[in-house]
Amino acid sequence: MSITDNPTTGASGIHLSKDMQQLVYRLLAAGLLCLALSIASDAFLTSNNILNVLRQASLLFFLASGLTLVILTGGLDLSVGANIGLSACMAATAIKATGSPVLGTLAGLATGLLIGLCNGLMVAKLRIPSFIATYGMLWVLHGITYYYMAGESIHGFPPEFRQIGSGYFLGIPIPIYLMVVFLLAGTFFAQRTVWGQQIYAIGANPVAARLTGIPVDRRLILVYAFSGAMAGVASIVFLARLNSAEGDIGETMTLPAIAAVLIGGASLFGGIGSVFGTFIGALILTLVLNGMNLLAVNASWQPLVTGAIVIFAVWLDMYGRKKA
Amino acid sequence: MKKLTYLAALLPAALLATGAWAADETIAVFTKNQTNPYFQTVRVGADVAAKSMGATAVHYIPTKPDSIPEQLSQIEDVIVKKPNAIVFVPVDYKAMTPGVEMINEAGIPVVNVTDRGAGGEYVAFVGADDYSLGLETGRFLLNAIGGKGNVVILEGVKGSLTSIDRVRGFNDAIKEFKDVKLVASQPANYQRLQGLQVLENLMQSHPQIDGVLAANDAMAIGAIEALDGANRKAQVAGINGTKEAVDAIKTGKLLASGDYNGFLQGCIGTMIAIRDLRGESVVKEVVLKPTVINASNYQPYDVALDARTCPTWEEAAAMETKK
Repeated sequence: MSITDNPTTGASGIHLSKDMQQLVYRLLAAGLLCLALSIASDAFLTSNNILNVLRQASLLFFLASGLTLVILTGGLDLSVGANIGLSACMAATAIKATGSPVLGTLAGLATGLLIGLCNGLMVAKLRIPSFIATYGMLWVLHGITYYYMAGESIHGFPPEFRQIGSGYFLGIPIPIYLMVVFLLAGTFFAQRTVWGQQIYAIGANPVAARLTGIPVDRRLILVYAFSGAMAGVASIVFLARLNSAEGDIGETMTLPAIAAVLIGGASLFGGIGSVFGTFIGALILTLVLNGMNLLAVNASWQPLVTGAIVIFAVWLDMYGRKKA
Repeated sequence: MKKLTYLAALLPAALLATGAWAADETIAVFTKNQTNPYFQTVRVGADVAAKSMGATAVHYIPTKPDSIPEQLSQIEDVIVKKPNAIVFVPVDYKAMTPGVEMINEAGIPVVNVTDRGAGGEYVAFVGADDYSLGLETGRFLLNAIGGKGNVVILEGVKGSLTSIDRVRGFNDAIKEFKDVKLVASQPANYQRLQGLQVLENLMQSHPQIDGVLAANDAMAIGAIEALDGANRKAQVAGINGTKEAVDAIKTGKLLASGDYNGFLQGCIGTMIAIRDLRGESVVKEVVLKPTVINASNYQPYDVALDARTCPTWEEAAAMETKK
């Protein structure tokens, strides 16, 4: 993504083609995985299973897509998993209290956005390193959520609300449509708008970005707010799928979300990465689990296999980058 | 005169009954996390028991769920504060041994609850037997599907004692039915979302699944969502007897849940701790018999936790399993 070396020119054809070359290798990793799985299991390459994998990947993608923009600026948002927990609990409470799925959804999104906004203000205005600010936020959120839920769960939501997570339109699960919308919107925003290019520029060289007159603080607040809001989106889909909210639902999702962004080719140092790459990253992580279940890999071996495939996928990507 | 001695003899007994002499006894209760509803039932059981005996239960829970270093430092803090007794659920049955030894050195009586610690001196152990819980819950489900068909197991966190024993119980139940086929045994780490996704995946490669045995309720309910989403039917059983599971049994979605009896464990563990420090007789071990909660017996479980009552000491002592 050499585009960031000269942000003022915006997205030009040459740079995009270099992006494409890298994307090819990332796609190749996912493709190889699919090929191996379709040889190993008859059940893999069926339309049902493909929709199944995409729907499963969507949750991780929602979380990881917001995180992508944060990582593009050279920051990190460790609070996304805890954010899902609190947002889902707030949405669940609102639905139970008002009976309205719309108000519930708004409550979840607002909670997510508010948390993201706080993160953004801490990073941009108080100059707290993002790792620390969002790590602190993670604990604050856990504290609030655990206190509020006291180990209980809130469950049983109206069918209209559950459509968001388990419904279908034209035979395709609703979460997949949502994923496509966010994938296209996110890609367009990052690659084709001035704000998006400014985000790349901030990650590549924050000092230069400030000197060129980019409103760095405002862009930083924007990306953290966006990351928080996407955690809110994930919490709603999550809640609608699982029909239940508990305090710890997002806890196991933070690291996979960060991994999805990095497997997708992003750099933790900022300036490199794309929303589409993150989509591939989320897909690879989901495929690994799906494949192991289909092939009935022994439970004891599953962590090892997951780790090995993740490392292989990234190695293939690095190898491709060197050649490109 | 005779009457007076009578009264004098009665006085301590009366005080004991009202708990008046025990007003400042503090029982430190250690549990693994704030996220698993099971430990909430243990804590409420401990609270109810302590209150009825005139003592106070104070809870220590790692902020990071199941954190070994955090529980260890909580023990250090508690030893400084010197509670009268400790009710202890180790976050890890092996790794917490040094912690228990520190408590022993400080001379504070400690009762072991839920996960049997591998070392240190305990006044008593109160728990449920995960193996027979798995076995009984498994048998119940397999009978419900008519003793034949395809079954999958959703395992808990790999390497955790509870998961190993419950899954072993499931497997032994399956071996008793020669027409039942175990088509897959996969981990979903006690997580609801993973229970849902793993079952979604398994449904792709197994067109017919008749029964799902999940090592906890959250995975069981995730599995039900997956089945509903695919318009497929199978009997599902979980373990823990959580509020949500009881609700699902009531509506007919969940077949059964093996009851781990956290409330009772909290009750009896705390009663033993208080009795021990008062120098009263105690029992050394209570391993609760499994109850499989189902549509025919869920009613007693369908009440708010803090509205439940602990058994009397005679009832509790009768549950003793080892001399």
